[in-house]
Amino acid sequence: METRICCCQPETSLRCENCASKDANKMVIEQQPSSIPKRRQELLRWNGWGYKDSKFFINKNSHMEFTGERYRLSGKEMPGFRDWMIATTGLSLDHKAPAQQEITAAEIPSPIVNESFMEELKRTSISFSDDPQDRVFRAHGHTLHEIFVLREGCFQRIPDLVTWPGCHDDVVKLVELASKHNVVIIPIGGGTSVTGSLMCPENEKRMIISLDTTQMARILWIDEKNLTARIEAGIIGQDLERCLGEKGYCTGHEPDSMEFSSLGGWVATRASGMKKNIYGNIEDLVVHIKTVTPRGVIEKSCQVPRISAGPDIHHFILGSEGTLGVVTEVTMKIRPVPPVKKYGSIVFPDFESGVKCLHEIAKQRCAPASIRLMDNEQFQFGHALKPEGGTIFTQFLEGIKKLYITKIKGFDLTKIAVATLLFEGSKEDVLAQEKKVYEIASKFGGLPGGEENGLRGYMLTFVIAYIRDIGFDYYIVAESFETSAPWDRVLDLCRNTKDRIRREVKERGVQFPPYVTCRVTQTYDAGAAVYFYFGFNYRGQHNPVALYEDIEHKAREEILANGGSVSHHHGIGKVRKQYLQKTVSEPGVGMMRAVKHYLDPQNVFGNGNLMIPDSKL
Amino acid sequence: MAHYKDGYEDILEERRHKSDLKYCVKQRKDVPQYKYRKRRSPEEVKEHVIHSDRVKYTVEKLADRLHVTQEAVRREAQSILDEMAHSLNLKAVRGFAYFLIKIFKSLFRRIYVNEEGVRQLHRLIHEYPVLLMPTHRSYMDFLLISYIFYEYDLPLPVIAAAMADFSNMKFFGWLLRQCGAFYIRRSFGTDELYWAIFTEYVQTQLRNGDQPMEFFVEGTRSRTSKSYTPRIGMLAAALESYFKAELPDVMIVPISISYDRILEESLYAFELLGIPKPKESASGVFKARSILSEDFGCVHFFIADAISIRQFSTGHIDRVCHALEPRYINNLTKEEAELTTQLAFQIVREQQRHLVISPWAIMAAILMQSWETGISVRQLVKESDWLKRQAANMGAYVDWPGNTSPDSVVRHYLGLHTNILAVSDDMVMPRLVQPSAHVKVQNDHVMLNAATNIILSSYRNQLMHVFVRVAMVSLSINGCMQDCLSMDNLYSQYCFLEKIMARDFVFQPGHTRADFEQALLMLQHSGGLCASDGGVLVKKSITKHTTFYSQMFEPFLLAYWVLCQHLLSMSGSVHGRPLPRRLKDLARDAQVLGKRLVEQEAIKHYEVLSLDILGNGLATLASMGAMYKDKRNEENWLSPNHVMVSQIAQQLAAFIEVPAVQVTQEACKSIRVVLTAKI
Repeated sequence: METRICCCQPETSLRCENCASKDANKMVIEQQPSSIPKRRQELLRWNGWGYKDSKFFINKNSHMEFTGERYRLSGKEMPGFRDWMIATTGLSLDHKAPAQQEITAAEIPSPIVNESFMEELKRTSISFSDDPQDRVFRAHGHTLHEIFVLREGCFQRIPDLVTWPGCHDDVVKLVELASKHNVVIIPIGGGTSVTGSLMCPENEKRMIISLDTTQMARILWIDEKNLTARIEAGIIGQDLERCLGEKGYCTGHEPDSMEFSSLGGWVATRASGMKKNIYGNIEDLVVHIKTVTPRGVIEKSCQVPRISAGPDIHHFILGSEGTLGVVTEVTMKIRPVPPVKKYGSIVFPDFESGVKCLHEIAKQRCAPASIRLMDNEQFQFGHALKPEGGTIFTQFLEGIKKLYITKIKGFDLTKIAVATLLFEGSKEDVLAQEKKVYEIASKFGGLPGGEENGLRGYMLTFVIAYIRDIGFDYYIVAESFETSAPWDRVLDLCRNTKDRIRREVKERGVQFPPYVTCRVTQTYDAGAAVYFYFGFNYRGQHNPVALYEDIEHKAREEILANGGSVSHHHGIGKVRKQYLQKTVSEPGVGMMRAVKHYLDPQNVFGNGNLMIPDSKL
Repeated sequence: MAHYKDGYEDILEERRHKSDLKYCVKQRKDVPQYKYRKRRSPEEVKEHVIHSDRVKYTVEKLADRLHVTQEAVRREAQSILDEMAHSLNLKAVRGFAYFLIKIFKSLFRRIYVNEEGVRQLHRLIHEYPVLLMPTHRSYMDFLLISYIFYEYDLPLPVIAAAMADFSNMKFFGWLLRQCGAFYIRRSFGTDELYWAIFTEYVQTQLRNGDQPMEFFVEGTRSRTSKSYTPRIGMLAAALESYFKAELPDVMIVPISISYDRILEESLYAFELLGIPKPKESASGVFKARSILSEDFGCVHFFIADAISIRQFSTGHIDRVCHALEPRYINNLTKEEAELTTQLAFQIVREQQRHLVISPWAIMAAILMQSWETGISVRQLVKESDWLKRQAANMGAYVDWPGNTSPDSVVRHYLGLHTNILAVSDDMVMPRLVQPSAHVKVQNDHVMLNAATNIILSSYRNQLMHVFVRVAMVSLSINGCMQDCLSMDNLYSQYCFLEKIMARDFVFQPGHTRADFEQALLMLQHSGGLCASDGGVLVKKSITKHTTFYSQMFEPFLLAYWVLCQHLLSMSGSVHGRPLPRRLKDLARDAQVLGKRLVEQEAIKHYEVLSLDILGNGLATLASMGAMYKDKRNEENWLSPNHVMVSQIAQQLAAFIEVPAVQVTQEACKSIRVVLTAKI
C-alpha cells in the first residue's frame, strides 16, 4: 500500500501558486478540515448510508431505536415504528437477512496498473492510494443495486487507484498524465450518486483512477461587495454552509444529501436544493465554473451576473456527470444568513386539495423557502417515527387540537395530506409570508398544523435515508426516485405511478403489497417536482434487485407517459441512459456526443454515463 | 330447466317466491365503488363539463371563428348538455324496478347470469373505471343490464343511448334518464361543439369512476341478430383518457346477451324490408302489452373477462407523445386510432364467443334450407342434432338441455315460435306472419313471405359468426370446377369473400391469414375437407359439411349479385356515368329487382329482399372502389363503376348458381315500377 500526503493539504498553510488570488475586497477564509476524511470508511458506513455511528436497530425491548448523537432522533426509541413496518410491508422480526461482515482483500479485484503512468504520478506531489478498501469505497454510489452488491458480494470492476488532488493544478496534472498514458479518470465528490454514475464500466481494460475531490475543499475568498465566494469544488455541503455561516453568509443550497455531497457533484448533476424558492437551484447559484478537460481548462473570463456570448458554456458542464472533465473551482452567489427561520405545517383533507393549494401558491409566487406536500402514506410513516409513546395520531393531534380540534373533526386521518413549510427572512417578511400562505391554504381546506410538525418533517429528510439499511436486514428493498411534471399532470402522475407500482408488484407474484408514497417537493411556475419512495418485502423472491429494477423501470415508463421528466435533479448516470435519446431527441444526444468527442476524444473520462455509448465487449 | 346450471344463476327464481315491493326497497349492501371516486351528483357532473378546459377551449375557438359571442356558444353548449345528460337517481330506479320485475317475470322463463362475471365486476369496479360493452339486439338490453346490476348490488351504470330512438317517447325517455340513460345524437361528425361536450361528458365520468359506463360498440340495435361492425367513435373518445394518462387503466367488459326469442322480431323484419315502422311512442309501448302474454323463453347474460386497455395497448402505443400539448385538445395518433379499431373488433369477437346459441338457432338454420319444401319433425331432429355437434366443434356454446330427448327439445322450440311456423302431420311448414295492427298491411304475398323468412333468418343469424369462416372456404370448394384447388387460389378467393361480406359479418382487420388457416384446420379436423400437398382435393371435399355451410351463406352472395345486376342496368347519362343516388335509394331499387326475380321464381331466397343486406353490399362495393362517391349535403351519393361491378358480379357467380336474366330489360322495368310506386 502506498499513501502520500500532498503539498497542499487543506490543514497545511502551503498553497499552490494559482489556487488563490489576492484582492483587497476579498476575504480569505481560514480552513477547517473536510467533513470527509481520506479514509472515509473510518467515519462513514462502508455498505450503507451515512455515519457509522448512526443507524436504526431493534433494541432489547424489540422496538426500533436510532443510535448515535448526531440527529434529533439519535438515542431515541420509536415505539410505533416496528408495528408500522410490520403492518405496511409484512416485515417479520423472525426473518432476518444480515449483510456480509466485510469484503476481504481476497474478494476485491486486483488493480490493473499502468506502470508508466504510475512512474510519472510518483514524481508529482499528488496523494494516492491503492488500498483495496479505499478503492471499493469509491466504486459505487447509493442505488439499491450498489448497496445490495456491497451487502452480498463485490463489484467486478473497481477503480485501480485513488488519488486526492489538493488543488486545481493537481487536477490539471492528473488529467494530463491520464491523457498521455491513456488512463481513465472517474471523478468522485461525496459519493452520494443514485444513478450508478460512479460504477466502473465492467469491460474497461485501461487503468481506472478515482479522482477524489474532497481534499480540495477550501473557500478561497469571499467577495462581500458582489456577494460571491470562490470555492473549491470538493467542499461538502455542510462544511460550506458552516464556514460561510461563521462569516454571516450562506449559499442557501441545501439538497437532502448536503451532509455528504459536494459542490462539484452538484454542478455535475444539476442539483436542486430544498430552499430553491429563495436561492435558486445550482444553475442559478453559480457565477463562474472552472473545469479541467483533456482539451484544456474551460472557464469564462469574467464573473458577471449574465452574459450573451453564444450558448452558455456553463450549461455544457452543468449536468455533465463527470463525462467531460473535473470541476475544480466555482464562484457561487452568497447571501447574508436570514435573521428568522421558521418552520410550519398545513394539514389538508386530502392530497388533491394539497396539490391544488401548492399550485395556487406557485401561481401567486409566494412560496416560502421550502414547501413540501406529503401524501397520506408518508404522513403516517412520519408519525410512526415519533419517539414518544401513544398511538400514531395522538401526538399529531396534540399539536393542533388547541385551535382546530373542532374544525378538524371533518378530516379523515387515512386521507389527510400534510405540507411542511420553511420560512426565511426578516421577522416582518416571515410574518407576511406566513399570513399569505395560510390564507391561501384555508381556501383549499388546509389548516395550520403547527411548527413542530414542520420541523420534524424536515428533520426526517436526513434520517429517512438510514431506514433502507434496517429494511435490508429484514428482506425489505427500498429506493426513491423523482421526477418533474407540469401542474395539470401532477395529480394524475402521482396516482397512476403509485397504482402502476402496486400492480406490477402484484403481477410479479410478490406476496406482500408494496409501500409506495410520494411527495411534492418543489414548486415552479410551470410545474412541480415529485419524489417517490417505494419498497417491498421480497421474502420468497430469488432476485430482488432485478425485480426492483424491473418495476422501477415500469414506474419510470408510467411517469414519462404521464408527461413527467426522466429526472428532476438525480440525473441520468447509467440507470436512466435508455431514456436519454427519447428525452432530448437524437440530434440532442448527437450534440452532447460531439462536445464529448471534442473535449475528450480518448474517453479519459470514461465512466460510461449519460451520452457515452455503451462499449461492446 | 333449473335455477342453476353451468355457472349460470337464474335471477327470476327467487323473485317468483318473494315480495316484489320488498325487493324494490331492499337495502343495497357493499356496493363497490371506484377507489378514487369523488362523490358527485349528475348536476355536478354537468357543471364540471361546462366549465371544463375542453369545452371552454372549444367555445372560445368557435366564437372566434363564427364571429359570435362566447355567451351565445356557451348557451348552445348548455342546451346540448341538457339534451344529453342523465339524471340517475336510485329512487327512480327502485320504482322502475317494481314494474320491470313484473314484466320480466311474465315475458321470460328464466334470466340466467354467469356468477363468476358478477364476482369479477365486484372486484374490478373497485380497482378501475369500467366500461360495459354489451351486445345490442333489443330495447330490453338496457333494462336488463340495469336490472341485473340492481339485483347484484352493483353500482348502476350510465348508458349511452341513441337520441333518435327515444326522441318521440317523452315519458319513457325521461324515465330512462332517471335510470341513467344519456342521449347521443346519431351522427355529429363535424360538430366540434357537440363532440367536445360529448367527449368531456364521457371522460369526466370515466375518470372519476362515478358509475360504470355502458355503451354499445355496434352503435345501434342489430336488427338482424348478427353482430354489426363496430363503431369506433365513442370507444376512442373514452380511451383518449387513458392515452393521455388521465387514469391508470380502463377495464372493458364485453357482455353477451342471448335471447331465445327477441321481442322486436316482427318489427325488425318489416323494417328490414323497408315497410315503415310505427313511430316508437309511449302508446306503442303500452300497445306492446299484448306481447306480455307471449312466451319469450330464456335470456342468457354472460359477463366476459375484462380487457385491460393497459395490457391491450402495451407495446403498441407510446403515450409520451401527448406530453407536448394540453390534454384537452383532441388529437389521437394514428397508432391509437388503429389500436382502438382492433380493440373494437376484439370486443365484438369476445361478445360472439360468449353468445349462447339456442337450439332454436340451430333449428332455424335447418328450416331456412328447407323453406320451400318443409321438413318432417323427425328429419329436423336428426339434422339439428348434427348441426349442433358441428357448432360445438367450432367452439360455440350451444344451450342444448342435457337430460332431455332431442325430440322434445325440438318440439318445445317449435311451440315457442308458432307465429311463424305450423306443424301438421309432423311436417314443419312456414306460416305467414301476421303484421301488427299498426304496420300498414300489405296484401303482398311476396313481402309477407319475405317477412316470415327474415324473422326465421334472424334466428339462424345467431349462428352465422360460428360458421362464416369455414363457409368461406366451403364456398370456394363447392364452386370449384377443377379436381384440385391450390391453397393460393383458395386463399385469394377467401380474401375476396371476406372483402365482399365485410359489412354483413365482422372480420378483424389484419387477421385474414390466421382466420383462414384456422378455418382450414377446423374443416379438416371435423372431416369436412380433404387436403393434399399444396391443395384441396375438390371432389373428396364436397361433403355434407361444406355443402351445408355454403348454402347457409348463399342468400348473401345472391343478394350482392342482384345488387350488381341492378347497378349494371343503370345507364350512363353524365360522362357516360349513371347519375349518382343515395345509398338507401339504390338499395330500394335493387330490392325491386330482387322482388321481381323472386316473383318469377328465378330466385328462391327471400332474403335478397333485405334492405340491410343490400345496403351492406353497396357500402362494401363503395369501399372496394366499385362505386364513385360524391358528397352532397353531408351524405354520400353513389354511382357505379360498371367495369368493376361487372367483375365483381362475375366473381360472385363463380360461387353460387345465378339465374340467367336479361339484365338491362329487367332493370328498365324495375325503374318504372319504382316510379309508379312513388306516384
